Amino acid sequence: MTPFLQATVYGLLQGGLLALIAVGFSLVWGVMNVVNLAHGALAITGAYFSWQLHESLGLDPVLSLVVVLPVMFMVGYVIQRGLINLVVNAPIWMTLLLTFGLEALIVNGLLLAFTGDFRSTRTGYSTNTLALGGVRIPYARLIAFGLSLLLTVALVLFIRNTKMGLAIRATGMDRTAARLMGMNVRHVYAVTFGTATALAAAAGSMIGLVGTFTPVVAGGYTLQSFVIAVLGGLGNMWGALAGGLVLGLATAWGALYLSGTLVNAIAFGILVLVLIVRPSGLLGKPYYEARAEA
Amino acid sequence: MAATSARPGMPESESESAHPELGAPTTGPPKAAPAGRTTASQLAGWALVLGLLVICLLAPKLFIPSFPRTLSAVFMFATLAQAWNIIGGFTGYPSFGNVVFFGLGGYTIAVLMARSHWSFWPALVVAVVLGAAYAMLIGIPTLRLKGHYFAIATLGVAEGTREIVLNVPKVTGGGAGITVPAVGPSATTSYPGNTGFLYYFLALLVVAMLAVYAIARSRFGFALRAINQDEDAAAAAGINTTRMKIAAFMVSGAITAAAGSIYAFQQVSIYPDRLFSVDITVLMVIMAVIGGSGTVIGPLVGGVGLQFLSEYLRQNFTDYHTFIFGAIIIVAVVLLPEGAVRFASETVRQRRLPIMDNLRRYRL
Repeated sequence: MTPFLQATVYGLLQGGLLALIAVGFSLVWGVMNVVNLAHGALAITGAYFSWQLHESLGLDPVLSLVVVLPVMFMVGYVIQRGLINLVVNAPIWMTLLLTFGLEALIVNGLLLAFTGDFRSTRTGYSTNTLALGGVRIPYARLIAFGLSLLLTVALVLFIRNTKMGLAIRATGMDRTAARLMGMNVRHVYAVTFGTATALAAAAGSMIGLVGTFTPVVAGGYTLQSFVIAVLGGLGNMWGALAGGLVLGLATAWGALYLSGTLVNAIAFGILVLVLIVRPSGLLGKPYYEARAEA
Repeated sequence: MAATSARPGMPESESESAHPELGAPTTGPPKAAPAGRTTASQLAGWALVLGLLVICLLAPKLFIPSFPRTLSAVFMFATLAQAWNIIGGFTGYPSFGNVVFFGLGGYTIAVLMARSHWSFWPALVVAVVLGAAYAMLIGIPTLRLKGHYFAIATLGVAEGTREIVLNVPKVTGGGAGITVPAVGPSATTSYPGNTGFLYYFLALLVVAMLAVYAIARSRFGFALRAINQDEDAAAAAGINTTRMKIAAFMVSGAITAAAGSIYAFQQVSIYPDRLFSVDITVLMVIMAVIGGSGTVIGPLVGGVGLQFLSEYLRQNFTDYHTFIFGAIIIVAVVLLPEGAVRFASETVRQRRLPIMDNLRRYRL
C-alpha cells in the first residue's frame, strides 16, 4: 500500500507543478489561438534566472519570484508585442514555426551561457522531508505545490475580476468586437503572453527547487503542457489544473506499475484519444462557445 | 495594397486558419496555376529545377569527396518537404507528425533486412506500402480534426509510435538501435556508397517532384486546394473530402516512408530518437513553408536552400549553428510567410520588392 500512496502523493505534487506550467500555455492558446512551442524554454529560463539569483545573491527561490515574475512578464510582453503579434493573422503553422525558432534560440542561448550540465537550486531545506505514516514528502515539493495552487487561483481571480481580465476574455471570444469596444488588442495580447511567461518562469523556479534541470528538457515540458491543455480544454484554467493532476497521477502510477519507459507512450495515447473523442477537453465547453474562461 | 485589410478584420474562427491562401492579396493566379496556363515565372522555375539536376548529376565528379553526402541530405530534405507539401501545403492540414512515416520506413527496411534477410528493393516496396497504410490508419481518425488539433494529434501519434518502437526491443532493438547488414557475408544488398545514395535520393526527389506536379494539375489537386480553402464548400460541391484528405495523406506518407528507407540503409545503424525526431518534421514544415507551401517548386527551393545553409552553419559555426538557425527561422517566418517562390513572383509582377506587404497582412 505504501508504494502506491507514495506514488499517488508524488504524482499529485508533480501534477500541481505541471499544471502551473500548462495554465499559461492553455491561456495563450485559448485567447490568441497561438500554440507556443517556446513555452517550456521560457519555463527553463525562469529556472536559470532563479538559480542564478540563488548562486550569486543567495536568494531563496520562493523569494526570488519577486524579481523573476515581473522581469519575465516584461520578457513575455516584449516577445508578443515585438514578434508574435507580427504573424498572429498568418496560417497557424506560422506561429508554430515562429515559436519553434524562438525555442531553438532560447535553448541554445541557455546552453551557450550555462552549458548543458544539470543544475539544481539547493536550499537549506532541500533535503528535509515530512514523514506522514510511511509516506515521505520533501518540504520543497510541498512549497512548490502550494505555490502552484496559489498562482493558479491568483490567475483565475485576475481573469475573472479585473478589467484587464475581462479584456483578455473578450479578445479571446471575438477580437474584432473587442477592438470595436475600444480595446487595445496588441496590448491585451502582450499582457496575456507576459502573464503566461511569468507563470511558466515561476514554475521553472520551482522545478529548480524540487529537482534538476538543463536547457534540453524544455521541449519535454512543452509537450506535457500540450497534453494538459488538451485534457483540460483550451483556455480553461481549472481544466489545466485538473489536467495537470491527472497527468501527474497517470505518470506516477504508470512508472509504478508498468515499465518506466512506457509512461510517455501512455501520455501520448491519452492525448490522441482525447483529441479524437472529446477535443474540447475534459472540462471544456464546445470550441465555439468559449475560447477563454475562468 | 488594396487587399491588405483582407484578413485582419475577420474574426478568427478555426476554419479561417485553415486557409493559407484565401487572404492573400494577390489578384493574379496562384503560383501553381491551373492546367493549361504557363506563366513566365513557372518556366523560370522549371529551368532552375533542370539546371539544378544537371549540376547534381555532375556533382560527384566536380566537387570535393564529402560533397555527395551533403548533397544526398539536401535531396532527402527536399523530398520530405515536398511530401509534407501534399498534405500541409495543398490540403491545408499541417501535419506535425510526418516524421512517423520516415521512421516507419526506416525501421521496416532495417527489420526486414536484418531479421528476415530480405534484400533492399523488395523491402523498400513493403516500406512504401506500409507508409501509405499507416497514413490511412492514422488519417481516418485524425483528419477529422482541424488546425492545431490535427497538428498536435499527428505530433502525438509520432511521439507515441516512437515510444512503441522503443518498447519492442526484440524486433526493433529498442533504444540501442538496429543495424542493417550492409557489408560482409550477411549483407543482402551491396552497399551503394555515398555516390550511390546520392542517385537514390535524387531519383526519389524526381519522383516526388513529378508526383506533386501531376497532382497540382489534376482533378485530385483541385479537390485538395478546394478543401484547403473551404472544406464545407468543397463537400457541397460534391468532393468526397474524407477520401481526398486520406488519399493525400497516403501519398505523403508513402513518399516519406521511401525517404526514410533509403536514409536507414545509408546510415546503417539507426535509433528511434533519430528516426522519429520532431526536428525532422519541423524541418519539413519550415522548408516547405519558406520555399512556398502549396506550390510545386517551393519545397524544392526551401529544402535545397535551407539544408545547404544548415550544413554551412554546421561547418563554420559549430557551436552556434542551431542558435543562428533559430534566428533565421524567426526572420524568415516574419518576412516570408508566403514563401520564397510567391515572394519572387510578386517581385516580378509588381516590379518592386514587396518586403513589408506580408508583415502588413499578418500583423495585428
